Amino acid sequence: MILIIIFIVGIILIGRVFYIQVFAYNKLSKLANDLWSRNLPITAERGLILDRNGKILAGNITTTSLVLIPNQIKNKEQVTADLAEILNVSYDEMKKHVFKNTSIERVHPEGRRLSFEIADQINALKYDGVYLLKESKRNYPNDNLLSHVLGYVGIDNQGLSGLELMYDNYLTGINGSIKYYSDGKGKRLPLSEVYDEPVNGMDLYLTIDLDIQKAVERELDNVMNKYSPEHALIIVEDPNTGEILGMASRPNFNPNNYQTYSVETINRNLPIWMTYEPGSTFKIITLAAAIEEKKVNIFNDYYYDSGSIMVENARIKCWKAGGHGHESFLNVVENSCNPGFVVLGQRLGKENLFKYINDFGFGNKTRIDLNGEEDGIIFKLDRVGPVELATTAFGQGISVTPIQQINAVSAVINGGNLLKPYVVKRISDNASNTILFENNKTIIKENIISKDTSNLVKFALESVVANGTGRNAYLENYRVGGKTGTAQKVSDGHYLIGNYILSFMGFMPADNPQVVVYVAIDNPKGVVQYGGTVSAPVAKHVLSDVASILKIKKTNEGMPKVYNWFDEKYVVIPDVTGMNSDDAKKILKGFKIEYVGSGNTVINQNPHGNTYVSENATIKLMLD
Amino acid sequence: MKNKVSIIMATIMLCLIGLIMIYSSSYVWAEYKFNNPYKYVISQGIFFIIGLVLMRVVAHLKIKTLYKFSNGFLLIAFILLVLVLIPGIGVVRNGSRSWFGIGPLGIQPSEASKLALVMFTAKYLSNNQNYMISIKKGILPIMLIIIIFFGLIMLEPDFGTAFVIVITLAAMIFISNTKLSYFVYLGLIGLLGFSGLIIIAPYRLERILSFLNPWSDPLGSGFQIIQSLYAIGPGGLFGQGFLHSIQKHFYLPEPQTDFIFAIIAEEFGFVGILLIVLLFLVIFYNAIKLALNTKNLFRKYLIFGLSFNILFQAFLNLGVVCGLLPVTGVTLPFLSYGGSSLLITLCSIGIILNISRNNY
Repeated sequence: MILIIIFIVGIILIGRVFYIQVFAYNKLSKLANDLWSRNLPITAERGLILDRNGKILAGNITTTSLVLIPNQIKNKEQVTADLAEILNVSYDEMKKHVFKNTSIERVHPEGRRLSFEIADQINALKYDGVYLLKESKRNYPNDNLLSHVLGYVGIDNQGLSGLELMYDNYLTGINGSIKYYSDGKGKRLPLSEVYDEPVNGMDLYLTIDLDIQKAVERELDNVMNKYSPEHALIIVEDPNTGEILGMASRPNFNPNNYQTYSVETINRNLPIWMTYEPGSTFKIITLAAAIEEKKVNIFNDYYYDSGSIMVENARIKCWKAGGHGHESFLNVVENSCNPGFVVLGQRLGKENLFKYINDFGFGNKTRIDLNGEEDGIIFKLDRVGPVELATTAFGQGISVTPIQQINAVSAVINGGNLLKPYVVKRISDNASNTILFENNKTIIKENIISKDTSNLVKFALESVVANGTGRNAYLENYRVGGKTGTAQKVSDGHYLIGNYILSFMGFMPADNPQVVVYVAIDNPKGVVQYGGTVSAPVAKHVLSDVASILKIKKTNEGMPKVYNWFDEKYVVIPDVTGMNSDDAKKILKGFKIEYVGSGNTVINQNPHGNTYVSENATIKLMLD
Repeated sequence: MKNKVSIIMATIMLCLIGLIMIYSSSYVWAEYKFNNPYKYVISQGIFFIIGLVLMRVVAHLKIKTLYKFSNGFLLIAFILLVLVLIPGIGVVRNGSRSWFGIGPLGIQPSEASKLALVMFTAKYLSNNQNYMISIKKGILPIMLIIIIFFGLIMLEPDFGTAFVIVITLAAMIFISNTKLSYFVYLGLIGLLGFSGLIIIAPYRLERILSFLNPWSDPLGSGFQIIQSLYAIGPGGLFGQGFLHSIQKHFYLPEPQTDFIFAIIAEEFGFVGILLIVLLFLVIFYNAIKLALNTKNLFRKYLIFGLSFNILFQAFLNLGVVCGLLPVTGVTLPFLSYGGSSLLITLCSIGIILNISRNNY
C-alpha cells in the first residue's frame, strides 16, 4: 500500500518535471529570457521610397543615440558628470537618467541623434553600462519635392501622412536588438550577447520619374514667383498605363521639417483633393462624346457663332465678343467656342452627355493609391435642364478634381480605356530580392469611345495647339495636342469676378501620346487670365523637358497648319468636277482613283472637294 | 550483499553530485558574500568526509547498542530541541530559531531528532507489536511523544522538518499491526491541527496559496516558485550544461539549499532529474528489500523508517521546487547544502548498512 502510494507520487513528480521541461519549455524559456536579458534596441532602417528608375526620394541617415543600463554603471557620479558635460546639460538633468531605477534608459531627447564628435567623446570614456546605439532617421534628400505624395514621418520613424502613412506597415522594418544577459542584480553576465538582427523595411518603387518631377517642381516655383497664385498644380501621367510620372502642387512643404507647416498645407494634396469647375479642358469630353455618337462631323459641319446663344431665356456668351462667325466644328474646338459646344451638348442630349461624363470617371474617385481623394460633384440627371446641359457641355456648373480630368483625357487619347491612375509601382524586399506587390495597368472601363473617335479628337486637339487657343504650348519638332481651360471660380453660388483657375491639358506625341500633362493655376496675379496665356507655356516647358527625358523622337511632320495624322495625312482635296479626267488625275496625284463610267469629264466626285480626307483615301470620280 | 553495494554506490554518487552541484549553484553567492567561490563546497566537502567516517562507524556498531541507545538518544534530542529555543543558545536563521551556532557552522537539532524519533518509534513498535490495535496501550503513548516533538519543532518554527517527521512516523505506524480506521481519525486530527497552525500564523496560508498560482504575487509569496520554474523550464530535456545556469546569478535565492534541484534541472535537464530520482529509488528499493529479508522487527521498522524518511523528504523537496506543493523549507537529502542534514542522512544510511551486515 505504502509502496503503491510512493510509486504514484513518484510518477506525479516525474510527470510534473517533464511537463515543466518539455511542454511548458517554450513559455517558461521566453519568460525567463525576458527576465535575464536586457535588450539594447537597434532600429531597423525604414524602407526607401524610390522613383521609377531607383533614384532615392526618401532615404535614411544613420545617427547615434545614447543608451544607459544604470545597473551596469559603476561610478555613477563620475559618469553623470562626464555625460552632462559632453551633452551640455545640467548635472541634475543627467542624474535623472543615470540614477533611474530601470533596466534600460534611453537618454531622450538630449542623447538622441548625436553628432559624430559627441558620439566619439562618449565612446572614448569607455564606461560600463554606457552604450551608443545606431539609429536610423528618415531623410528626404530633395526636400520639398513630391512632398504631398511622400508624406512625412514622426520622431520614431512612424509614417504620418502620404505614402509614408499608407504603406507604413511595409516601410517599417522589425527592430533588432543586442541582448545582454544580466544577473539578478543587473550586472552583466559574461555570456555571449545575442545579436538580433533588425529587418529593414520594404522599398517602395514609385511610378514617378525624378527628373520629370524636378521639371514639374521647377515650373511650379516659377509660376509662384511670377504670378503669386493662390494654388498651382501640375500632373504628368502616362495615358497608356495610368502611371503618374510627376505630381506636385503649391503650397507644399518640406517633410524634413514638417513641424513648421500648417496642417492644411500638409494634408491637402491638391491634384487629388481640390475640386473646381474644369472650364474648357472639359470640352474634350463633350467633343469625344459627340464624335463617338456621330452627332458631328468636325470637318463638314459648320456653325455660325454670333457671340452668344440663347438657351431657355438664358444668354450664354462666347468668350470672344462678337463671336467667331462662320466656323467648322474643328474651328469651334480650336477657338474653344462656348456656343459651339452648347450645340454639341444639345445634339447629344443630356442622357448621352452624362453617360459619357460618368463613363469617363467624373463624379467618382479615380481610386488612385493616395490618401485624401475627393469625388467632385456632377449634376444629378433628373436635375439637368437645358441650361445645365448647355453649361456642362463646356465645363461649367460641375466640379471635378484635377486627377479626374487628366485621367479622363488619358482615356480619350489612349483609344477609349479609362485606367486607374497609380503612383506605387512595386513594393520589394531588398534583403530577399523579392517583389511583394506590383501594380499594373488596371482598366476601369473599356472602349468608352472607339479608336477612330480617339484619333479624331487627338487630331482636333493637335490642331488646337497648332492653330487655336493652345498655340502657346506649341513645341517645335514635336507633335503636341492640348486644350486650354479658363474657369471662373465660384464662391457661395456666385461667380467671382476676375478670379479664374487657368488650366491646360497637353499631351504628346499627338498621334501616339506617351505623356499627358495637366497644369492648373488658381488666380494668378498681374496677367491676362486666360489658360492659353498662362498655363499653356508652363505645360510647354514641362513637355519640352519630358520629351528629352523620355527620349520622345523628334519629328518634322507636326507642322503648324499642316494636318498630319498618323500615317494618314488629312488633306483638303480640291474640287475637280468639270475637269478633264487627265487634269483631275494630275491634281489628285498621290490618291488612289477609282473611275466610274467611261468618259473624259468628271461630273461628280466622292468625297466632295474642299473636305479633309486621308491621303490614302480612294477618290471616286464619275466620268461622263 | 548486492543490496548493500547498491546503497553505498547510490549514496556516494548522490553525495558527489551534491558536492558538484553545490559548487555550481553556490559559487556566485559565495563569491558575492564571502569573496570565496569555494566557501560552500569546501564546507560541505568537510561534512561529507566526516559523514563518510560516521557512516562507517555507525555501520560497524553493534545493532544492540543502537537498540539500547534509542531511548537515551531521544532524550538528548529532546533536551537539544528545548535548548535551541532559548534565545542566546539557539540562533535565528531564515526566521527559525533552529540552529546552534558553533563558529561558522550551524547544527540543527531538529535533524538529529528526526533520527532519534525514527529509532525510538522502531523500538516502540517492535516492543508493542501486539498492542498497536489498541488506542490506549499502543497508539496513544507514541502519539504523545510525536506530538511533543512536533510541538517543539513547530516552536522554532520549522514546519517542513516537523511535517516530514510526522509523516515518516505515521508511515511506520501504518505498516505496524494497527487498524486502518485510526488513520482516518489521525487525518482528521491532523487537519484540525493544520487549520490551527494556519490561524496562528497566517503567512502559512499565503505560502500554501501562492503555490497554486505563483504569478498572483510574483514579487512576494510566488517569487521563489516562479524563479524555480524559470530555472527548471529552460533546462529542457538536456539542460543548459554544467555551470551554465543563469538563475543562480542572484535570481533564485540561496540556490544551493532548498532549491538546488532547480539548478540541477536547469543545468542537466530532464535527463539529470531522472538520474537523481533513480538514485533515490535505488536506495529506497534496496533498503526495502533488506527490510523484507530481516526477521528482527526493530530492524525492519528501523530500515523502513529511515529509508522512507529520506525518500519522503526528497519527494517533498521535489514537489515544492516544481510547484506542486507549497514552500515548506525542506532540503533535498544528500544534495542540498547543509552539514547537519548530510551527517544525519549519512548516519541513516550507516544504520541501514549496519542492519544489512548483521542480517547474515
